[in-house]
Amino acid sequence: MKVLYSRITEAIKAKPKIENLCDDLTLIGIEVDEIKSFQGDKIIDFDLTPNRGDCFSVKGLARDYCAYKDKKFSSVKKISFKGENKFNKKIQLLARDGCSAYSAVSISNLKLKKKFPEYIKKTLKAAGIQSIHPLVDIVNFVMLESGQPMHVFDQDKIEGDIEVRFAKSREKIKIIGEKNLKLTKDCLVIADKRTPIAFAGISGGINHSVSKKTKSFLIESAFFNPSTIKGKARRYGFQTDASQRFERGVDFNLHEDALKEAILIIKEIFQADISKIETTKNKYFPKKKLISISLEDVNQKLGTNLKENTIKSILNRLEIKLIKKNKNNLSFEVPSHRFDLSIKEDLIEEVARIVGYDNLPQIKNDPISQHYEKSDYDFINRIKTFMTNKGFNEVINYSFLDRQALENLGLDNKSISLKNPLNNSLRTLRTSLLPSLAINLEFNINRGQNFLNIFEIGKSFSNDSHMEVLNLAGLVYDDEKFKNWNTDQNYDFYYLKGILENLFEEFRIDKISWKKSQNVLLHPFASADIFLKNKLIGSVGSINPRFLKLLGLNKEFLYFEIKVESLPKNDLGKLITPSIYPISQRDFSFEIDNKVSFEQIENCIHISSKDFLIGLQIFDVYDGKNIPDGKKSVAFRVSWGSNKKTLSEEEINKEANLIISGMQKKLSAILR
Amino acid sequence: MDLDALKANLKKDFKKIVSQEELNQFKVKYLGKKGQITELSKNIKNLSSKEKPTFGKKIGELRSLCEDFLGFAQEKIDLQIINEALEKDRIDVTLPGSYKSQGKLHPLTITTKKIADFFSSKGYLIEDGPEIESDYYNFDALNIPKDHPARDMHDTFYLENGNLLRTHTSPVQIRAIEKRGAPLKIICPGKVYRSDADKTHTPMFHQVEGLVISENVNFGHLKNEIMTFIDFFFGPDTRLRFRPSYFPFTEPSAEVDIMDKKSNNWLEIMGCGLVHPNVIDMAGLDSKKFSGFAFGMGIERMAKLLYGIEDMRSLFSNDLKFLSQ
Repeated sequence: MKVLYSRITEAIKAKPKIENLCDDLTLIGIEVDEIKSFQGDKIIDFDLTPNRGDCFSVKGLARDYCAYKDKKFSSVKKISFKGENKFNKKIQLLARDGCSAYSAVSISNLKLKKKFPEYIKKTLKAAGIQSIHPLVDIVNFVMLESGQPMHVFDQDKIEGDIEVRFAKSREKIKIIGEKNLKLTKDCLVIADKRTPIAFAGISGGINHSVSKKTKSFLIESAFFNPSTIKGKARRYGFQTDASQRFERGVDFNLHEDALKEAILIIKEIFQADISKIETTKNKYFPKKKLISISLEDVNQKLGTNLKENTIKSILNRLEIKLIKKNKNNLSFEVPSHRFDLSIKEDLIEEVARIVGYDNLPQIKNDPISQHYEKSDYDFINRIKTFMTNKGFNEVINYSFLDRQALENLGLDNKSISLKNPLNNSLRTLRTSLLPSLAINLEFNINRGQNFLNIFEIGKSFSNDSHMEVLNLAGLVYDDEKFKNWNTDQNYDFYYLKGILENLFEEFRIDKISWKKSQNVLLHPFASADIFLKNKLIGSVGSINPRFLKLLGLNKEFLYFEIKVESLPKNDLGKLITPSIYPISQRDFSFEIDNKVSFEQIENCIHISSKDFLIGLQIFDVYDGKNIPDGKKSVAFRVSWGSNKKTLSEEEINKEANLIISGMQKKLSAILR
Repeated sequence: MDLDALKANLKKDFKKIVSQEELNQFKVKYLGKKGQITELSKNIKNLSSKEKPTFGKKIGELRSLCEDFLGFAQEKIDLQIINEALEKDRIDVTLPGSYKSQGKLHPLTITTKKIADFFSSKGYLIEDGPEIESDYYNFDALNIPKDHPARDMHDTFYLENGNLLRTHTSPVQIRAIEKRGAPLKIICPGKVYRSDADKTHTPMFHQVEGLVISENVNFGHLKNEIMTFIDFFFGPDTRLRFRPSYFPFTEPSAEVDIMDKKSNNWLEIMGCGLVHPNVIDMAGLDSKKFSGFAFGMGIERMAKLLYGIEDMRSLFSNDLKFLSQ
């Protein structure tokens, strides 16, 4: 809300420095967004919280300021006005509590007596309100000053009497600003005998609005129930000065006084025939609310030691009057402009506001003493730290991206899209972290990066029973073979697998198995699916080259993604004391069919040498020179040991021979 | 040759030894089968029994001097050999070490950690919840009914399946009350979403919210928690102020500002307040018995202040040059 500094100083009858004024208002919860110079004056732009409808005017701001500064504030000028002519229309309030009070006046034979005052034009301009017609400008000015929105109709266009009612089904109205609205039955309208003439409390209808040709005017000033107006304008995608005020709540005792204020200005500027003010109320017209509170309530919630008199006088300054006292129970009456006060806590906040939050005590004892317990947060942080120690940089991507990015990778199945995305590139929730990391890769390659290792822990989303799943994903890219003068690191499948094996080891997760991947995004022969006790928890490998073009890349990268939630959080179990007897080791080298997997060899050794086997370490896999086509040479070291004795030469020879014969029989392997 | 001349030669020759070979020659020359000391000692038999002991003693002295010399020389030469070998191992210590890259945590993770460290040290449990939420948990349970103007403060992303992306981490608080009851002392860090994008807003950002519910929790407890946190996070001489604000889920509500020493401006850093009794009741506790406070802050804003980040969007561009700092 934009307000002129000069209007506020006039209303508070004092002239504090603008900085001090703004500081004081800020400290009572009226936030200042910006101060700008304007025609030798200043515009203060307030950022009002939605509860403080009562501050949506110059007088409202002044009233709160004066309460804080303990200055007298005269809220309403009592204007006596008696029109001469009869008001000719009947007003019927048919919307129960939707509209329980309606005042109107008719004006005709308008003739300018003097120049239209500059201060009104300036005030409207500062508030960003367009000048439309002198009468409209005057009611808008009064709205800015008092907070009461009013509307001016072209009276000649109104047929018959006026009724305030809910819209009939399929009723339409074309409002100012040329919008055609299809109304629903919960929309409040002002109607003549034919048709709605205004969307009540929100906007007038264009067919009944004033123009230069208008000869006869009807000014409406009414009380509309905030809950009837709430959200209606927003539903049609707009807001007006009136809707913003009515949905927050406009003083229910203001409509007639504000109308008189407008008439007073009109009479000052124009010669005109003005009717008597016609005010209609129905039985739903609100009564002032009562809130009961005790002294303890206040002191207990604020940690203070305030006296009853202090509380009474603070609330009195805010026009919240004590009307009944019953032992400890104080009954306060809420003024008609405060829609935000209905429970004890609301009054407690009022007391706190005026005392000043910074003056309230700081209480050092801890309300709950409790010991910290580790949670998923710690687990995730440990994974993050592990990944950074493995050389990976953490990235954080938006959860949404272009649907096309998912479609390109065939990942759009069951994807969830936003109804109201900011733009198309942020429309669909990611179903995997892969597209995000690929985008990071492309971005960084374009910025001259030729080596990249990144990871992210974030959610992926899909339209099934578990809508969101937390994933850990990593990407490694190495443009030309990684060069360092003293290191010969191969960034290949085994590099990433090694990191994941370390990860599982770090978190004491065993029963992991690796199988040729079924993931179509990955290289069909050089990637793996990862299983934990036969449950698929992720995949690792190089990206299938057929997707590279769609990702805007021209070289493969390595990728893995695993479900964090499927990882058990194992603590260190019982420690085992190592055997005191020595370990025996033998190295073997076999020539074996190329298609035999290490897993098969491992199983074969475990089955062949059942006694004393404690370790198997593969140290060479070779095919090429000296090895026949379709074969490979595999070399490994086997360790045996016992925690009861030192193994004898014969025992070890026996085990070694069992391995050699087992490998021969089961896998047709020949010892080299 | 007399003994004195021999001793003088011995000393002279000893000084000349620089190699193992010369050492060996020295040994042969004096102590070999035909060495000078050996030869000389053969003369002893020609001496009178009176002269014998004196001469014998002198020869003995000469021999042990020679042996000492041999020992010294051998030590010197051994050292020399090791030094020569070490010289061959010379390396360029200014070359970089064998490559093991060290990755970095994202600045938002580090900032969250700093915040979480403070609260976990005070016994706050860390809770998490879904990012896709229902209207109920994101709004209704937080005292923000339909058509409430406060819904305007949250530019909500709605999903085609009827749900929404949470606009704050407050739904986690409700879920935690439902799950754990009271007393309760938690923080909930996480991603939140609002339909807003400019230099200071990104459509996805992070929040940490805290909630304490027990009997007789008051505004003074809240102030203490916030003030000690600000001391920890921004340093003990940070000026701060509390000012009234509005959140549907707290009453009274406050905004916390800190004084930026450079610009001399107040910077808004977090919202807080006493939990609204409707929220406590709706989550299944009795607001007559329990009261509580809640607070919440944007992690990006805290990171911005901690690291002097100018454009919030740089936190999500994932530029390695930015992240690997």
